Amino acid sequence: MDAAVAFITSFPLVLVVSLLFEGIDRKIHARMQKRIGPPIIQPFYDLIKLFNKERIIPVTASTRVFEIMPMIAAAASILGASILLSNTLSGLGMIGDLILVMYLLAMSSIALMVGGLASGNPYAAIGFSRKMSMMIAYEIPMFIAIISVAFGPPAVLTIDRVIKFQISTRLPLAVSSLSMASAAATLLLCIPAAASVVPFDIPEAKTEIIYGFLIEYGGPYLALAKIAKAVSNFTLTLLVSVVFLYIPSLLGEEALINLGISLSICLAVSLLIMFATITVPRTIFARLKIGQAFKFYWMLPLALSILSIILSVIGL
Amino acid sequence: MKFGKMLRDALRSLFRKPVTVEYLTKPGRMVPVSERFRGRLTYDRDACIGCLLCVRVCPSGVIASTEDMKVAFNISRCILCGQCAEICPKEAIKLSTQFEIITGNKNGLILK
Amino acid sequence: MTAERDVEREVEVEYTRLRIPFGPIHPALKEPVLLRVSVRGEEVVDVDMALGHVHRGIELLAEGRNLIQTLYLIERICGICSHSHTTCFIQALEEIGGITPSKRALYLRTLIFEMERIHSHLLLLGVIAYEIGFDTLFMFTWHVREKILDLFEKITGNRIHHAMNTIGGVRWDLTPRMVEEIDAYMREVEKSVKYIHNVFMDGTVEKRVCGLGVLSYDDAVKLCVVGPTARGSGVDIDVRRDHPYAAYDELKRDFSVVVERGCDVYARTEVRILEIFESINIIRAILDRLPDGPIRPKENVFRLMRGIPEGEAISLVEAPRGELLYFVKTDGSGGLKRLKVRTPTFSNLIGLKPMLIGCEIADVPVIVASIDPCLSCTNRLIVIDQERGESNVIDVDSLRHRVRRRWMRQ
Repeated sequence: MDAAVAFITSFPLVLVVSLLFEGIDRKIHARMQKRIGPPIIQPFYDLIKLFNKERIIPVTASTRVFEIMPMIAAAASILGASILLSNTLSGLGMIGDLILVMYLLAMSSIALMVGGLASGNPYAAIGFSRKMSMMIAYEIPMFIAIISVAFGPPAVLTIDRVIKFQISTRLPLAVSSLSMASAAATLLLCIPAAASVVPFDIPEAKTEIIYGFLIEYGGPYLALAKIAKAVSNFTLTLLVSVVFLYIPSLLGEEALINLGISLSICLAVSLLIMFATITVPRTIFARLKIGQAFKFYWMLPLALSILSIILSVIGL
Repeated sequence: MKFGKMLRDALRSLFRKPVTVEYLTKPGRMVPVSERFRGRLTYDRDACIGCLLCVRVCPSGVIASTEDMKVAFNISRCILCGQCAEICPKEAIKLSTQFEIITGNKNGLILK
Repeated sequence: MTAERDVEREVEVEYTRLRIPFGPIHPALKEPVLLRVSVRGEEVVDVDMALGHVHRGIELLAEGRNLIQTLYLIERICGICSHSHTTCFIQALEEIGGITPSKRALYLRTLIFEMERIHSHLLLLGVIAYEIGFDTLFMFTWHVREKILDLFEKITGNRIHHAMNTIGGVRWDLTPRMVEEIDAYMREVEKSVKYIHNVFMDGTVEKRVCGLGVLSYDDAVKLCVVGPTARGSGVDIDVRRDHPYAAYDELKRDFSVVVERGCDVYARTEVRILEIFESINIIRAILDRLPDGPIRPKENVFRLMRGIPEGEAISLVEAPRGELLYFVKTDGSGGLKRLKVRTPTFSNLIGLKPMLIGCEIADVPVIVASIDPCLSCTNRLIVIDQERGESNVIDVDSLRHRVRRRWMRQ
């Protein structure tokens, strides 16, 4: 498949798949709580409803920033997801590497934060400061884990090379070496915080600060914010599944020929990752406080990520 | 740590039938209500002797007397306490088990 | 006018302090109360309370109605402890009228009372779980509670507003089959509550509720808090034991008063969990020793109402949230001269201030929930009509006539 075609087709694919993922997550979450739960395509219904609603901008908001930030957030996360997905889809190298994907993900959540802060709501201000501390807590281990890929056996940062490296060794990266295993573990531990689900949904805790920086958003803006969140959650899970757990690599060269099959395997793996890192934690844990969450992230994932970078430098 | 236990229970309920039920509006397929359930009022106009005891005990002003010494009910105000049915000497007022009282036609809620 | 100025002040940001309005509409609060919380960073430095958002003027409405109408009106003061309110009111009436209900009626009253306590406490446990972000526990807890509501529907005909009490007795009797069902359900609830108790001792839950919202013994006594809030601070009070009413005098040996000395949210939660077990004990004792006999006087309730002379009485019950007090003054012709209700939440709300100062924002909802606030009860106490900013006396008769005329025309 042509790289440009793959890039363009991945835009709608990203939207549909990530919203489906959200629907599946909500359904499983409900069933774990003994509820029937919403239909799997409920996120689509939500979006249709939200886009048809009127735009409300609070009087205290600085209008421009408030309006434009959800768009930036949604655009950034969709772009990040598309880069990742089109690389997997085409098997060809194209613009962007892992650092760019991480950057776009961070940018999407920062854009939402800033837009929320521009609403002038005190709850949004608290949410902003909480998200700030949380980002410091989880972004650093995440970046270190990604960088350790460059120091480790693959010694590259472009996604297609990482995939090709895994195919050439016929092993997923996470099981190929100790350093990569701990990098994968770091990323997995960081997903709940990056997706801000219980126990790490502190920045938007609904019973404490009423969704924090999302509080004043409604209608189309909220729809964009929801898209940004759903897509960046999907990107995180896909990132782990493509970069660290590329199961199709077990097939060897076949994986590059039957790209459709390898993509569906990747999506299945990322669905499993989403179940383990987003659905299950938010079902079985209670929300932590900001200090406790911070302590957790600087104790375990940071230590793991530093360990992975040390190990990869040594060459394990 | 009891995370494991919570996880086990959550996974177990994942594969069981959920306890919530869909709201079905077809009669006969609704969740059954108990025998004593206090639902929409029914009124037997012929049995009524016009003692107006019900008018005096009704807490929310549902019941008013009509010119021919019978009563009329404004069900939209009814709080389903069942006091009128209890005090009626001829059992002309009864509470059915019908719990869906909402209607689009306000006049439909006047019972004579 | 003052209200408008307050709203403006809340969004104003000081150099180090942020003043956030907590309520009256807030997902963590089930009922409207406005807490003006001043925070520095994440720490709460001051808190101010404003009530009156659901003021319904029930006391005034009661004065224009007869006693039977009032009985159903005051049941609507609170949806959770509706039976406590009617029992308290009926007790006062029976004292004025010199009516003694039969033994069986008293036992049945107590049975519904304890079932209500179980359902109220389960509701609160669910709410606390929800406040700390533990939705699954919330769902599990309310699933248990759902069954007791079904049981209420079977016994009394309604899930929430039981309408169980009537002058001189109760309105619905137990059938042998219901006795079996209650017994079976009690076994089930015992098992489930043991499980919930276990989960509340779980790591993440414990982190969120231990050592929080401390109300010391001295403060608890000084601020006159009641019910589980007081018992969680080591104050040993319980109306059921201290001033027995209904059948509690004969059930004295079947329950003990749960007192915890932890003074924090966890202690108050645990008091409630253990009280559920005590309630189960009481219900079992009632089912064992349920006396035979009539459940209500043969006389028509209207005639009974007419027979109540002019007089006044104070009545106390231990509602799920604490001591509930009614002052009733009748006018001798089936009406009321004055009704005064002092609900437990009114006493407990004052205790919130020492609990909240010094905690984090994240803890505010949990602490507020831990006193189990029932604000609809409390707001009934304010006698000013805040809607128009003037005290406006509603002429009930004219209002009723107007309404009646309108729909009769249709």
